[in-house]
Amino acid sequence: MIVTLLISVLIISAIAAALALLLVIAEYFFANYGQCTLTINKEKNVTVEGGSSLLSALASQKIFIPSACGGKGTCGLCKVKVLDGAGPLLPTEEPYLSQEEIKTSFRLSCQVKVRKDLKIEIPEELFNIKQYNCKCEEIRDLIHDIKLFRFRLVEPSDIKYIPGQFMQLLAPAYEKSKEDVYRAYSIASDPADKSIIDFIIRLVPGGICTTYCFNYLKVGDEAKMNGPYGQFRLTDTDAEMIWIAGGSGIAPFVSMLYHMKNTGSRRKTTFYFGANKTKELFLLDEMKQFEQELPNFKFVPVVYKPDENEKWNGETGLVTEAAARNNKNLADTEGCLCGSPGLINASIKVLKELGMKEEKIFYDKFA
Amino acid sequence: MKESPQTKRLEDILRSSKLAADGFLGEDARSVSEIIENDLAVVSKSGFTKEQIAARMRDITDKAISLLGNWTEIDQKLLARVDEAKGFIVCPWPHTGRFAKRVTYVKFTGPRAASRESQVIKWSDLNIHFIELHGFFEGKGSNFRIEPKDLINIIF
Repeated sequence: MIVTLLISVLIISAIAAALALLLVIAEYFFANYGQCTLTINKEKNVTVEGGSSLLSALASQKIFIPSACGGKGTCGLCKVKVLDGAGPLLPTEEPYLSQEEIKTSFRLSCQVKVRKDLKIEIPEELFNIKQYNCKCEEIRDLIHDIKLFRFRLVEPSDIKYIPGQFMQLLAPAYEKSKEDVYRAYSIASDPADKSIIDFIIRLVPGGICTTYCFNYLKVGDEAKMNGPYGQFRLTDTDAEMIWIAGGSGIAPFVSMLYHMKNTGSRRKTTFYFGANKTKELFLLDEMKQFEQELPNFKFVPVVYKPDENEKWNGETGLVTEAAARNNKNLADTEGCLCGSPGLINASIKVLKELGMKEEKIFYDKFA
Repeated sequence: MKESPQTKRLEDILRSSKLAADGFLGEDARSVSEIIENDLAVVSKSGFTKEQIAARMRDITDKAISLLGNWTEIDQKLLARVDEAKGFIVCPWPHTGRFAKRVTYVKFTGPRAASRESQVIKWSDLNIHFIELHGFFEGKGSNFRIEPKDLINIIF
């Protein structure tokens, strides 16, 4: 009896598996969705070959949607509003979409397959995003786990971006990762030098792209990146600013400082930069130089716990504590923050306690 | 025993570098179920449960987060620091769940520090989930493999 039952289950399982396999094979060989039209923002029509993901179909038209995982459905960045033609929401998308996003037809473009005509909406600025071929020109150690990577753009050979934006760097398949992956890094270079992109990157243990950059990428190697992306930027006002960052969160501020220097900015700006030990501070000479070139810029390095035997006369404790100690009323001040969610959340709390309005706090959260 | 297609698929993902450089199994040739079984036997011998271990790890991580990447004293024998990177990582098991790319470093500073097998250990938020829900401490040689015995010795 039990044997018969087991055999029946086995037979049914085998038939189901065979049918599933047949479907996959049939789709691969016979499914021909033909050409499909993507209507973008109600005004632009592009024709793509059906069968691929929406993310890939758009990339084939040189429209790059931010995606840090290269379309594997693991980063949740490639959200696009699909108004018509996408089919039901997939379980692989649900964890990445809020109820509000689901209600307003957002989908993960890497999970939506183009099987028929689609109507989609994407932000206008994404049309300016390009893929760049470049060459690694310099790798500079900043501290034990943070390096500066400089890339010279080859094709196209120049780029226009707003200081504060980020690019997606490709880590090609290598010994420790069998697939291409993209990861997002803030631009840390002078926007006036349109052929250079600098990144300041911290090594993440087990990180696919950071391991590639730190242990495999060499000066002279070819690289690929796309962008620029992101809304983090300086406002057009003259309001006083307080910046708070730690570690590789310094990157967008370096680019902003170059921009301020290039435009002769006189905005009063105080930059609180936190580190655990004095040996973990970096770019100090560059910051001193910016202080000389920008009349109202002040760099405040904050060391959490200096070693007893070292002479440290600067600020100590948490970077947020230093900001709180040195400011009384920030009602008319703007805040710019870059770093971990923990740092951002703690900074927002402190700045609001000092009277800063929430809508005047801008940040690039590592999330 | 022959592995089910689901188990085989899971093992393929864990061995691949789809989610983490070098994957989650390192050079460990044992099957995932063997790794879990052996590690849970160590846990069981210790008198703790995997849930208690995960709860203690989470408690340490939560305490260290507020120090914004700086070392902080957890108690008389432990220092901890939390680093965060951009993005999320998902659990390779077939269920929903994504985790901040957050790494907690823990240093044992109490008496007999030198005799501890491992004085600095690290775990990610995904590790805590792996241990709590799947009893998985990763394969030997993987980036975030934690020896259960060392972990228990240090955090309790």
